[in-house]
Amino acid sequence: MRAMIRLGYFVRTAFAGLRASPVTTAVAVITIAVSLVLVGAFALLLANMEELLGRFGDDLQVTAYLEDGLSAEQVNELVRIVHTVEGVQAARIVSKQEALERFRAGVGQGSALLEGLGENPLPASLELTLAPEQRSAAGMARVVGSLEGLAGVSELASGQDWVEGYLRALALLRGIGWGLGLLLALATLLIVANTIRLAVFARRDELEILALVGASRAFVNGPFLLEGFLQGAAAGALALALLYALFRLVLPGFEFGLALLLGGVAPRFFEPHEMAALVAGGAALGFVGSAAALAGGGRA
Amino acid sequence: MSNGDARGRGWPWRRAAPSSVPVSRAPADGAIQIYHVSKSYSAGSFALRDVSLRFAKGEFVFLTGPSGAGKTTLLRLLFAAEQPSEGQIVVLGRNIARLGAPAIPALRRRVGVVFQDFKLLQRRTVEENVALALEVVGTPPRVARAKVFAILKQLGLQHRRYHHPLSLSGGEQQRVALARALVNEPEILLADEPTGNLDPGLTLEIMDLIASAATRGTTVIVATHQLEIVRRYGKRAVRLEAGCVTEDSAAGRVRT
Repeated sequence: MRAMIRLGYFVRTAFAGLRASPVTTAVAVITIAVSLVLVGAFALLLANMEELLGRFGDDLQVTAYLEDGLSAEQVNELVRIVHTVEGVQAARIVSKQEALERFRAGVGQGSALLEGLGENPLPASLELTLAPEQRSAAGMARVVGSLEGLAGVSELASGQDWVEGYLRALALLRGIGWGLGLLLALATLLIVANTIRLAVFARRDELEILALVGASRAFVNGPFLLEGFLQGAAAGALALALLYALFRLVLPGFEFGLALLLGGVAPRFFEPHEMAALVAGGAALGFVGSAAALAGGGRA
Repeated sequence: MSNGDARGRGWPWRRAAPSSVPVSRAPADGAIQIYHVSKSYSAGSFALRDVSLRFAKGEFVFLTGPSGAGKTTLLRLLFAAEQPSEGQIVVLGRNIARLGAPAIPALRRRVGVVFQDFKLLQRRTVEENVALALEVVGTPPRVARAKVFAILKQLGLQHRRYHHPLSLSGGEQQRVALARALVNEPEILLADEPTGNLDPGLTLEIMDLIASAATRGTTVIVATHQLEIVRRYGKRAVRLEAGCVTEDSAAGRVRT
């Protein structure tokens, strides 16, 4: 009962405080929202890029091209050996004939050109699927290393270089994202702390009287903490709306750049739990910023 | 309990207490005990100097003396707005000098304070101003409304409860402040020049209301420089000058 009464007082007082200085509140909320939009946009980009990597992960495979003229037994022996290599989940034989069919299908109407070929120039190959735990640039490198120099294999091909580059770019972006996030979180804390300090100053006569009639520190501070929390949560919601607007309206204009980054995969927006995390993050920043202002301020 | 010199020299009450009882745990039959208290804000200049006083439960005391004599400082020490530089103050059994910040609110809920400038919130109604003291202690709203109405009625302000302080006269504003100080039924009421801003007619009206609190068992300490008030009520008067107690009308009398 007492807790409910107190909560009711906190909510009433906090909203009254926000209403009492609408301009300061609005500026704070918008500034925090801009910070959150920047961090959110970064998080969204990273999430999409990681998703892409995950999707391509299934396709990550090593192709071992075979020398011409191997007998069926020799090929089967190779398959047996390859299966013993750690990290290889499956091996599929692609015959010279199948390789040509695929090539023909890939070229399409230009396939007439292939009619002129007397002998099939394409080699047979083994397509190796990696075990899930090896589906990374490092895992691929390990498998390729184990297969190198195997008799009957003329060449090993993998998407290793591409994956490595992509992973490195992702790591860099993630680093930048974290740095940016921390910096903006700090800025947000300062903004909230400053807003709350102004609110404390504006209400100093009331706080003096509250202290006089025996209000506990929690009772005095509660509404300010709630104010910071509400500002942060509002900023989080606003940031979410802005991000969604950017995602829907602005992103389609950058199709080409997106295709470079995401390889033509349609970008996704935040999942519901990620949206909740953004708003909760804003609220938490607001709360902590407010607490910092109160810890510094003290009272009579 | 004991008769004797209370001019700030001896500790008459201590002699009566068993010697094994330490000062800080003196029996709580006195509402306020002040032992050799000094307060200085800068080195060498004292707002209070070696003040020792004792106020019994339900006692009505005037603190008199010229401006700057230390009346306000003494009251501020009593509601723990400040700490003494030297000496001990026991209020309702709590030693102010050793009271940590978290314990101060609990003490203030038992002590009502009234000021010359009323200290009302202008943006809130009379009712809300008074209810503030109840909100702080978590009184349920319905109970609080009833208590606020009762105290406003007692002080003749029930018809003003939805007004804002600035639309009231000075006397009415001070009555609102008094209602806020009394609504929690405090054990001690401190008033710092409560009638300093009021004309003589209103002064008597307010003082009568304050005096009636003492008849209900509240210890009342009123700081004033208006000697005619002190004479009119004929209660104990402690005179401060330059931070020292120079006169105590209770000295040499048996106090209860």
